[in-house]
Amino acid sequence: MTWNSFFDISTMAHRHLLFAYAAVLVIQGGYCGWIAWNWFRTKDPRH
Amino acid sequence: MEQRTPTLRNVAWLWFGIAIAVLVVGFRQAIFLTPTDAAQGDVGRTFYYHVPIAMLSLLFPYLNFAASLAYLFWRKRDPLKALTADAFALASAEVAVVYASITLITGSDWGRAAWGIWWAWDARLTSMLLLWLLYVSYLMLRQFSSTGQSQTLAAVLSIFAAADVPIVYMSIRWWRTQHPAPVFGGGPNAGMDKSMLPAFFWNLAGWAIWGIFILLFRFALERRRQIAEQEAALQAIEASLETTK
Repeated sequence: MTWNSFFDISTMAHRHLLFAYAAVLVIQGGYCGWIAWNWFRTKDPRH
Repeated sequence: MEQRTPTLRNVAWLWFGIAIAVLVVGFRQAIFLTPTDAAQGDVGRTFYYHVPIAMLSLLFPYLNFAASLAYLFWRKRDPLKALTADAFALASAEVAVVYASITLITGSDWGRAAWGIWWAWDARLTSMLLLWLLYVSYLMLRQFSSTGQSQTLAAVLSIFAAADVPIVYMSIRWWRTQHPAPVFGGGPNAGMDKSMLPAFFWNLAGWAIWGIFILLFRFALERRRQIAEQEAALQAIEASLETTK
């Protein structure tokens, strides 16, 4: 498989493969980003 | 403490870097280097994300279970230790929900392409959905309970929720299901082709390292929030004492 065929959405199989990988990266990245956002918004009282 | 924080931060960045590097290798193996599955075509590559994440989604509930037991043990004996255990229980429940959500979404997405249906009420899929619902309800209980006992109630709920984990694991062994048979330990016809192993194990390692990272990051955030809350409570008490002088 190549980058071109990975992003090829002309067939249902390829669309579903791309969606699965994108969903995993978006959910994991989104959750990590949410933790980081709250981390910087929560003041560390020890400093 | 001043020495410890920069060291921990460096270790956290190093761990994050290792997780990203291993995940990049895993992605490359899964998409570019592993041959296309003869029966399923390219959609079969969903396997390399779905199965490792599904396996890990059954481990985080046990961390939540252990932390909840520790909370119940310490809540009267040592409240400060109990608070730490509670922070870990919350972090592990959230990571369990993240991993279980991905398992359900990628499984359903693959099912539509491979079986022609998004969902089947078979034992594996239903017990996994139940697991997800149990941990979502655990988080909602913590968020919206106004009894002042929400941590204790959540800890008790987590003990019941953990009972679903072995049912999810054994469901494809106990019952005939729409879901494929187990890959590991599923009898003489189980297992995977040698060419699939690197992609599978790189992704298993990558998502495990990543899972530990986000678990500890979330735990550190919750501890920071708890300590900030304690400080605010102490300051409020001190202020009220000064006004009564």
